[in-house]
Amino acid sequence: MTTLLERLEEEPNNDALKTEIRNLDLLARKAFFNNQWQINTGALLLLISAIIFGIALNVRQKLVFQIEIPQVIEKNDFHLRSLVQRGILIVGAIVLFLALGASFYTKDYLQSFNIAESQAGLAEVAVEQIEIVEVNTGTEGMRPFEQPAVTELASEDIEPSPLPEMVDEAGQVAVRPEGTFPDLESILKQHGTFRGPLARGVSFHKNIPVVWKPADGTNIIWKTPLPKNGNNSPVIWGDRLFLAGADGGGKIIYCYNRHSGTLLWQKVVNNIPGSPAQSPKVTDDTGLSAPTLTTDGLSVYAIFATGDIISLDLSGKEVWSRNLGVPDNHYGHSSSLVSWKEKLFVQYDTNLGGKVMALDCRTGQTIWETEREVKISWSSPILASVGDKLQLVLASDPLVAAYDLDSGKELWSVDCMMGEVGPAPAWGSGLVFAANEYAKLVAIRPGTNAAAIVWESNEYLPEVASPVVADGLLFIGTSYGVLAAYDAQSGEKHWEHECSGGFYASPMVADGKLYALDMEGVMHIFKVDKEKTLIGEPELGEETVATPAFAPGKIYIRGEKNLYCIGNE
Amino acid sequence: MSTIKNRLNLWGNLILVLCLTAWNATSFAQQRFPKPDFESGYVQPHPTTPEPRALWLEYSDVLVLIIVLALAAWFVFKRRSRRGILWVSVFALAYFGFYREGCICPIGSVQNVALSLFQPEYVISLTVLAFFIIPLIVSLFFGRIFCAAACPLGAVQDLLVYNPITLAPWVNKSLGLIPYLYLGLAVLFAATGTDFLICRYDPFVGFFRMDASFLMIVLGVSFLLIGLFIARPYCRFLCPYGVLLNWTSRFSKWHLTITPAECIDCKLCENSCPFDVIEQPTTSQSIRKTKADTRRFVTYALMIPLLVGTGAYLGGKSHVFMSGAHPDVELAELLITQPEVENDPDNIDVQTFLASGKTMPELVEAAVNIRREFYTGSAILGGFLGLVLGFFLINQVIFSTREIYEPNKGNCFSCGRCMDYCPVGKEPFLT
Repeated sequence: MTTLLERLEEEPNNDALKTEIRNLDLLARKAFFNNQWQINTGALLLLISAIIFGIALNVRQKLVFQIEIPQVIEKNDFHLRSLVQRGILIVGAIVLFLALGASFYTKDYLQSFNIAESQAGLAEVAVEQIEIVEVNTGTEGMRPFEQPAVTELASEDIEPSPLPEMVDEAGQVAVRPEGTFPDLESILKQHGTFRGPLARGVSFHKNIPVVWKPADGTNIIWKTPLPKNGNNSPVIWGDRLFLAGADGGGKIIYCYNRHSGTLLWQKVVNNIPGSPAQSPKVTDDTGLSAPTLTTDGLSVYAIFATGDIISLDLSGKEVWSRNLGVPDNHYGHSSSLVSWKEKLFVQYDTNLGGKVMALDCRTGQTIWETEREVKISWSSPILASVGDKLQLVLASDPLVAAYDLDSGKELWSVDCMMGEVGPAPAWGSGLVFAANEYAKLVAIRPGTNAAAIVWESNEYLPEVASPVVADGLLFIGTSYGVLAAYDAQSGEKHWEHECSGGFYASPMVADGKLYALDMEGVMHIFKVDKEKTLIGEPELGEETVATPAFAPGKIYIRGEKNLYCIGNE
Repeated sequence: MSTIKNRLNLWGNLILVLCLTAWNATSFAQQRFPKPDFESGYVQPHPTTPEPRALWLEYSDVLVLIIVLALAAWFVFKRRSRRGILWVSVFALAYFGFYREGCICPIGSVQNVALSLFQPEYVISLTVLAFFIIPLIVSLFFGRIFCAAACPLGAVQDLLVYNPITLAPWVNKSLGLIPYLYLGLAVLFAATGTDFLICRYDPFVGFFRMDASFLMIVLGVSFLLIGLFIARPYCRFLCPYGVLLNWTSRFSKWHLTITPAECIDCKLCENSCPFDVIEQPTTSQSIRKTKADTRRFVTYALMIPLLVGTGAYLGGKSHVFMSGAHPDVELAELLITQPEVENDPDNIDVQTFLASGKTMPELVEAAVNIRREFYTGSAILGGFLGLVLGFFLINQVIFSTREIYEPNKGNCFSCGRCMDYCPVGKEPFLT
């Protein structure tokens, strides 16, 4: 029936198909009601049998009945009463025991939900004002090795893009930043998106450090504590680093000077029309600010689990903001943003349905929106270069699908995923790769209405970390701590490595090396090669789930508590 | 002998006709909304719960109850006829059981009354209130004749009593505590709007409606099979309404007597009661007071406050466990501990909540309030059970004198079986 209905969707005017569906439906209904009739009739017969049985028993009883001749039985009343008392006490003890069990082996889970805190948090958010705080007040409180490296820029081989002039007046909404959107070359020189340029997991910066030790400050350029929690990863444009944090007390976007670690500004995100008065319930491991920001050098864009999306200019002034509708997401929305030219792409797969949107970077208005026949996902979009055009590629349950950047039209899709899809897809070697735990790892050759799976595997599957492709190799990091390298074209496994911690942060490729940061804060650095060559395993000293960001000669890591800038000293 | 058989066959056939007529009569029940008229010949399935009735039909149910009770009283006190009581109970089974599909019944009405007392927004109907009160009032005058002839649950068990065994007194008394526990839980759950336990776990209503789940069929059949040998197990060891009838019946102005005149102490009735409620005459030996009995009486009397206190304490402590049965509390805890269920489209409760527009704090706040109500209710329930336990114990060291065989006024169902055993007044037929 399902198949026929699906066919009917494709052929709505097929009368023969409609008749076939009706006939099949009638048959199914007849079968159902026939079954119901059988059950009812059987029950009735059973009842009649029971009545006859009862009558038969009574008849027999009456036929064989004889009043017994009374017999004198000596009863010890005292003994009987003692037994009764014991029996009553035993029943009482059983009830007591059950009550004890019910009293002390039941946990009150309602206590773990703090209503007052939740409401207080909401109240605070409601009264907060727009706030732009200039906090560039020097290096007070920083540790010696956190001093800004003023000569750093000179050694870099990429010039930072010019920044709009900062405006000090608080509370003012900025006008749309003037300037042209960056071209591909400019984007590849930055780390403006989750997993680097075009969200592909590959950074083109050189001279990335392979050794560091926060305990003694080795190669730690600076380290600064993070005021608010957030599982998003840092993004970089020029000499500015952006990240966000959120909790019941509010949502804040931070901008740091990436050379000094100085907080340049922070923007409290509030008063967005349509924003829910109360934050949606999210789990701790996702949080209210899991999606990574994106920047095009003109603006920085952020989205939160409330469905609030905002654009700020690089000085922290709001350009536009809107609420996309609170995403119905039981862990919390976590899909990161990616932009291309004037379009900001939002993957919005929720329990109420899936869709992908392109918003105008300048105004926030929806340019196009495409409904998707998918279940909820936590994955992020990437931009794949298929042929001579970029395609927006998304992974969800059950589709891995590509969309036209201009129209939002689905270009191709492959039904191959299942479960709660978290990892973003990867692009490389002419193939799209997607994987999810309890599903499979697939390599898809894209093609309009002709996409096909080239190979698949189910040996090592990631839960959160996205795959990455470089130099014909595909790398996978699993949540149980296995790193695996495959031949991207054939699916042949080249090597695997068991790490102490699992991977939530996505592995990145930079400077010819694979940087895979596990949840314990250990960076596993391998040569990008068919042979397994471990270069180093420096430790951060704190747990982390954020994907590192790269800049020339530097790596930026968001730990659980601190933000680190690591570079060769 | 052939005459007896013929008469029994006739009665058997009558039962079948009665049941089937009652069964078919449900189709005449009033429809609140007219059913759509399908041209395809589609026949609407029978609903799984009794359909609402017109008010006059509800009142007619009350009238039927009164008539049944009046008939039963007449058969017990005037005609002293076990057979008459039996056939009234067969009618009650057909009418209140199969025709009315077990609803409304005084046993379940306990919950409606509790809910109306503790939830002001719930208005109890006059019919339900009448079904709750009338049997209790009648029992104040005539004993538990409702159990004898008007209760469909009792009737279905009574008809299948085959070869009842005599249970040891300690088993009878100990299991007799369970109805108090069941009553307390039923009242607590109804008063907090949690559930109607008695109806949900009624082992026989599924037979009446022909819609029992497999487990309830197993439970119902088990009760009936056990009932072949341990007469009316549900009535004796579970029925919560029986607790109330037990209390009122103790004060009944008139009560069934085994003998219509002076007891001749023939002992023929001694084992006639399948429910073990006939109490023997006391002897000087059995009412002998000992120092041990006095000591026990004092001990139990002193224990009562302790039992009540302990019961109240443990009852209060177990409120978290018990309140978990409330759908709101269960849903709140489910969403707190397993937030991923929001993604489960098959979880109707969760999806309904999500679609309702209510927020999680609102749900949790409601759940906390319900849990608070449970704390008070559970403490009272615990204290009540402690009190019952104490009185059960004290009752075992209090002696009363009795000169003849007589039924226990609290526990006797007034079924009239024992009357058939008594030869007094039947002398001409004994020859």
